[in-house]
Formats: sequence, C-alpha cells, structure tokens
Amino acid sequence: MKVLIIEDEKNLSESICSYLNNESFTCETAFDFPGAMEKISLYEYACVILDISLPGGSGLDILKELKANKKAEGVLIISAKNSLDDKILGLNTGADDYLTKPFHLAELSARVAAIIRRKSFEGKNNIQLDEMIIDLMEKTVRVNNAIIDVTKKEYDLLLYFISNKNKVISKGAIAEHLWGDNMDLADNYDFIYTHIKNLRKKLIQSGCPDYIKSVYGMGYKFSVA
Amino acid sequence: MKLFTRYNRINLLSTVIIFLLASGAFYFLLKYVLISQVDEDLKIEQHEIEIYSGKYTKLPEALPVKDQKISFVPINSAKSKRTFSTVKGAEKGEREEEAFRQVVFSIKVNDQWYEITVAKSLEGTDDMMRSIIVIRVLTILLILITSFIINRILLTRLWQPFYHTLGITQAFKLGQKQLATFPATKIDEFAVMNNTLEQFINKAENDYQLLKEFTENASHELQTPLAVIRSKLDLLVQDENLSEEQSKAVQAANDSLQKLSRLNQSLLLLSKIENRQFSETSQIQFKSLVEEKLDQFRELWLDKGITTSVSLENVNITMNLELAEILLNNLFSNATRHTGNNSTIRVSLTNLQFVISNPAMFGTLDNNRLFNRFYKAGKSSDNNGLGLSIVQKIATVSGYFVQYRFINNQHEFSFLFS
Repeated sequence: MKVLIIEDEKNLSESICSYLNNESFTCETAFDFPGAMEKISLYEYACVILDISLPGGSGLDILKELKANKKAEGVLIISAKNSLDDKILGLNTGADDYLTKPFHLAELSARVAAIIRRKSFEGKNNIQLDEMIIDLMEKTVRVNNAIIDVTKKEYDLLLYFISNKNKVISKGAIAEHLWGDNMDLADNYDFIYTHIKNLRKKLIQSGCPDYIKSVYGMGYKFSVA
Repeated sequence: MKLFTRYNRINLLSTVIIFLLASGAFYFLLKYVLISQVDEDLKIEQHEIEIYSGKYTKLPEALPVKDQKISFVPINSAKSKRTFSTVKGAEKGEREEEAFRQVVFSIKVNDQWYEITVAKSLEGTDDMMRSIIVIRVLTILLILITSFIINRILLTRLWQPFYHTLGITQAFKLGQKQLATFPATKIDEFAVMNNTLEQFINKAENDYQLLKEFTENASHELQTPLAVIRSKLDLLVQDENLSEEQSKAVQAANDSLQKLSRLNQSLLLLSKIENRQFSETSQIQFKSLVEEKLDQFRELWLDKGITTSVSLENVNITMNLELAEILLNNLFSNATRHTGNNSTIRVSLTNLQFVISNPAMFGTLDNNRLFNRFYKAGKSSDNNGLGLSIVQKIATVSGYFVQYRFINNQHEFSFLFS
C-alpha cells in the first residue's frame, strides 16, 4: 500500500517516511503544492498525509481536488494550527482525521492504519495476529477463539501497539494516545504502567507469547516475530 | 466630589461672604448718610429757632409737627456745646416707642437761658433702611440663584467634551482591535488632551496587538521544529543498538521536549483565548461534563490512592464547550498535581459555583500572583505555570469569575457562575 506524504518540512517528511516504511507500506513524498497536485493526479494512494500550509498553495485545495475527483484515498491532515475551527473545516472538507503538530510518529502511524482499515473494509474487518483476532466492530479480542475480557483502555492500547508493531513507543506517546494531550500531567506516566501490566498479563494468560517488552524505561515495544 | 460641586462650593461661599461684607458696609454707610441728613435738618431747625428768637426776643411756639418734638427747658447757665444723639421715646398721642434723633442746644432769650431739644423721628429713615435692605437681600439671593443656574449650564456645557472623552476612555478595552477616536473640540485644552489620549491609547493597543501576534506567531513557528525533533527522537529510540546511556539521554530529551511542546500549546491557547477565537457559546450541561472529567481522572487518582467527595447539582451554563473542557482539565490536573497521595479531592457543583478543593502540601498560594503566567508555587518544575492563567482567561472571556481561597489547609478554587 502506498502512502503519500505532502509536507514541506523535509526533515519531518523524512522521519514519517522512514517510520512508516515497512512490509505493508511504501511512502512517497511531495514537498510543495504543484508537486502534490501532480502526484495525486497520476497515482492512487491508500492514504495521503497532508500538511495545510504549503509553499504554492493550501493543503485544503489539494483535499478539495481529491474529493472532486472522487479518489478513494483516506486523508490525514497534519497541521501546526491546533484550533477546533481548522479541524472542523478540514474534516468537513473531507479529511478523515486531523493531527496537530508536534505529534508522535506512533500516533501518526496508528491514525494512518485506522484510516486505511476504515477505507478498505469499511471498518468491518478483523485484525489477525498469530492466534489473536481483534474484531473492530464489536471491539473484542479473541485468542484461540476465546474472548479475552479487556477494558476499553486496554483495547485501545492493544490496537495502538499492533499499529506500531516492533516499534519502541515512548511512554509519553502512549499516555497521549490514551488520555489525549489535555491531561497536562507531564513527567508522570506511572498510571500507564498499570494498564500495560494488566494487558500483558491477560495476553499471556490466554496463551499469547509475551508481546509487550519494556525498553530501558524509555517505553514499550510490541514485538512480533 | 464632582468638579462642579467643588467649583460651586467655592464660588457660592466666596460670593456669600463678599455679599455679607458688602451688605454690612452698605448698611453702616447708608445709616451714616441718613443720620447726617437728619442732623442737617435738625441744624436747620436750630438755626430757624435762633433767628426767630433773635428777631422777636421770644421763643417760638412749639407747634406740634408730625414726627417732630420741640421742648424748651429754662436753665441757669449755658451748656457748652450742642449735642446730637439718638434716643428712644414716644410721640405725643402714641404709645409705641420709636427712635428719635435729637439735637440739644441752649440759647439766651431775655437774659434767660433755655435748653432747647429738637427731636425728629427716625421712623421714616428706618422704614427706608428696611426696604433697602430687603431689596438688597432679595437681589443677593436672585444673583446667587442665577449664577448657580448659569454656572451649572455653562460648566456642564463647557466640560461636555471632557466627560465625553472620559466616557470613551472608560469604555475602551485593550485588545479589542479597535482604535480610540475622540470627537473634535474647539477648546484647545481638550483638543490637546484628546490628542494625547488618542496617541497613547492607540500606541498601547498597537503594542498589545504586536505582542499578541508575536506570541501567536512564535508559538506557531515553533510547532514544526518541535514536530521534527519529536519525530527524530521517535526514530532514534527504534535503534536497537542504543546503549543504556544513550537511551537515557534520548529519554531526557523526550521529556523536555514534551514540556516544551506543552508550554508552547498553552501559550498558543492563551493567545487564542485572548483573540476571542472561542466566541461560539452554547448551553452546557455542566454536571455531565464534570462527571465525564471525573471518570477520566479517577484512574489516575486510583493510582495515587486519592479519593473523591463529590456533590453535583444539575446546572446549565452558557459558554464555549471546548473552553469548558479545558477549564475542567486544568482545574482537575492542578488539584491532582498538588495533592499528596491518599488524600481527598472535593468537588461540588451548585447553581452558583463549581468548587474543587484539595489538601495543601505546602500551605497557601500567593493570591496576587496565582493567576499570573509562569507563577509556580515552590520549586516544582513539573508544570509550566500557565494552567491557572488559562483558567482565569477562560473565566474572563466567558463572563464568569474564578477565585482562590485557602481554608483549613485546603486549596479551594471556585468558578462562580454569577
């Protein structure tokens, strides 16, 4: 699946690209308005990551162009403007999601994965990982056909991990994903530990391998062979 | 005291004093003049008597004339000088005593000395004095009243531009992106004042806007570099060959970056609130909003062993929903951050106010600086000191009021709905 990153800050674009590039994604980049317009007219993408302020034009016009051509691409707006109005404008114009800079790459990756899932299977699909099946509609987790009783936070956490397989995710990124960035409790991520511990225990008890690894106190990694 | 009152007080007081002094002087002068007049008449009387007695060598007959008395009394020797005096006495056939001016002199008729007293009633003079003084007092009153009215009208009209300017200045609020304009006036002083004020206010407004724009632009411009740093750090931690030392360094950088981006977001939020970008308001069921937040925070409190004591009434208020959420977030975060483990956070909501209180760890906070940007109690560096500043800004733009009290070793923040 191809992802197009339209972002004028090359360093950021590069980071996103190298984080997303793996067995399931390949990334292409555009750095300005004309370049982006050219790419979207020539190729099909599973998802477009779109910055609003671009040299040569507004990202919103690219979005309008995509929608006018009835392209199937999912669009994730990344913007430096964290305002509800911009968010609403973006979403009303047809974007699937909106992420404010600065974001964690893990968050971006999870959002992109979610958009692609929604677009490809209209959200009715399941995610399968070895012996584990996650039903996205029912929000249930089964291992070897037995339902595991997970809380909402644990479910979100699991989905987040799976969207960032084999990646180290920092505690800050996890906290922000689970509680939003309004909690304003920097420096204290103790509370995420409880959720991770419980999820890990439940997975192991149900017969999964020990997926969740702690990395030097820096964060966690969901390792899949 | 109003300028007009003050002016009137001085003006009236001095006018009255001058009039009183002048009236006194006038009274004595008038009296002196009138008495002299009577004395002249008496001298003429005396002269006539002397001429008469010199011509006919006998005293004239004391004919009764109205308002005049003449008496002749034989005496042994001549009195040295004639004397004028004012006496009281009754006229013939009348009972009432009245004032008389009399002259006493002596003449010799047929070798006999007589003391002659000629008295003239002062009734007429007194009547005249009285009416003059009444007229005088009435005039003074009239003048006072007219000057009061004229002053009032004149002053009000003269000072009209001043009060107008004052009204505009009072109504002016910094940060509304409006310039102050004062009406033209022909009075030089007011024109200079208006001009000065106009320059002053517009400069302040301009500076304020620039500062605000600066904060906003700076915050905005920082977002992209912050995003780059964060993404690079996110990539860096993926490297499996990182040593423990390196990991720690990355982690520390990550934590600081987190603080920095939060600080930046808070600054951005503040300037957005100041720019009234959250002007859209709606009816909010405050109770369910509070319950939602309580649910979010309970998890964290569970971890710290914090219990809650909650009493909520159904309250609907009008404000921006996003701001209401931020407000509650900040107040709850604040209480959480500044509460020791295993304590109780109290939350109550009534028609009048939303109150959240928590046991203090280090005594009271400085109420004067509490809501200032970057105010930090103690040396805590966990937070950026903008949370309460945002709370207050939200209260202000929403037309409500936030208040801090320190009661029974509890920090208590109230959000007042009235």
